[in-house]
Amino acid sequence: MDDWSPLWLSLWVATSATLIAAVAGIGLAYVLAKGRFPGRGLLEAIATVPIVLPPTVLGYYLLTALGVNSPIGQAWERFFGAPLVFTPTAAVIAASISALPFVVRTGRAAIEEVDPRLEDAARVAGHREWRVATLVTVPVARRGLLAGVALGFARALGDFGATVMVAGNIPGHTQTLPIAVYDFVQAGDGAAAGTGALILAGIAVVVLLAVTTLSARRI
Amino acid sequence: MTARVALLACAAALVLSACGGTADASPPTVGEITVAAASDLRPVFEELGEAFEAETGTRVTFSFGSSGQLREQILGGAPFDLFASANVEFVDDVIEAGRGVAATKADYAFGRIVLWAPAGVALPRSIEDLTAHQYRRVAIANPEHAPYGLAAQQALQSAGVYEQVQSRLVYGENISDTFRIAQSGNADVGMVALSLAIADGSDYTVIPADLHEPLEQALVVTSTGPRGETATAFADMIGSPAGREVMARYGFVLPGGPPGKQG
Repeated sequence: MDDWSPLWLSLWVATSATLIAAVAGIGLAYVLAKGRFPGRGLLEAIATVPIVLPPTVLGYYLLTALGVNSPIGQAWERFFGAPLVFTPTAAVIAASISALPFVVRTGRAAIEEVDPRLEDAARVAGHREWRVATLVTVPVARRGLLAGVALGFARALGDFGATVMVAGNIPGHTQTLPIAVYDFVQAGDGAAAGTGALILAGIAVVVLLAVTTLSARRI
Repeated sequence: MTARVALLACAAALVLSACGGTADASPPTVGEITVAAASDLRPVFEELGEAFEAETGTRVTFSFGSSGQLREQILGGAPFDLFASANVEFVDDVIEAGRGVAATKADYAFGRIVLWAPAGVALPRSIEDLTAHQYRRVAIANPEHAPYGLAAQQALQSAGVYEQVQSRLVYGENISDTFRIAQSGNADVGMVALSLAIADGSDYTVIPADLHEPLEQALVVTSTGPRGETATAFADMIGSPAGREVMARYGFVLPGGPPGKQG
């Protein structure tokens, strides 16, 4: 691999997407674990569906929702002067949505495992509900939450199908490492494809090791 | 302890990536144009792109795919400066949708398809040979959106062997993917672009041009302003005597060339 831009782009896209998915996902996980309101099941289904959808189907819906003929796409173009699709930003959006369910599902389980007596103790001490969440629930559940975020990062880094549909395959602009591997194979460049594949596989193993360590050492 | 180290490593990786990524994720600068090109052009355009960069200092970045997929991306707003299609109809679609500059539309080549077999498989001498039992899998590009795949399908039909060969067909996403399927031995024969077989330097059997509709390859500039002007300059270079010489070397029949070359 002579040109490392796909790796840097991938890490940048996956990191940005993980930050977005972490904030939105932990918030959603908390609401789903604690809240009792109508439509909770539906909300959970919507937040989880990217796990089971084929990535190309997710990409298709994103392209429909964000494309030049969609209201969002047109508003974006009017505001920024250029279409949203086929940009690194579109890749970040695709990766965020792919990563979100991993944060939500793992995070929700971690929050539900927090001993309610710890939270009650904080309530007895006079803290409001949001302080109970930030002082007790989230810190106690941090390992599970981090495991979800790490899985989300791995998913964001690895996305191919949704990204290639909304961001295309433009070298140096939207060509992430998984897409570059596909392109190298098509170009008959086996050495570069092998290097790219090895890097992605290596990162995936490191992330899974981190997740195992986080999950094994629960309080 | 181990968990803490792992976390620190993760955090460090995140910070590093954030720093490294921002510079590379910015859109291409004015000293660079992005060309959407049919994948039969991969070897020849890479050579022409390097020549253009040496001459003008402008870097040419290519996004190769099937012409149909690239058309969809351009209609969807992809930021390409030039679209080099393997089929003139896709160029017309782009112009009709207001995404191409009509005045810049130009034919730049006629494509040819060939039969190509990987090492260890006897090269078919004609399209009729494909009915032989040894060719268990025949790779063609997806005729739904890849012009070379459509030409391969038409050639099989014209030769009267489509019915027999149909169940053995495997489809590549585009013509370079099709070539890869054959090259890796996952198909016993591929119906691929002449340009790819020439670039590979191996033997091939040319399929007569009268068995399929002409692969009239056309291009159109898809951006305006300085980028559009630079893209026009690259298109002009492809049509220049030096550019035509390179195209001819990769087996492209050039518009206006002697008709005898097409048969």
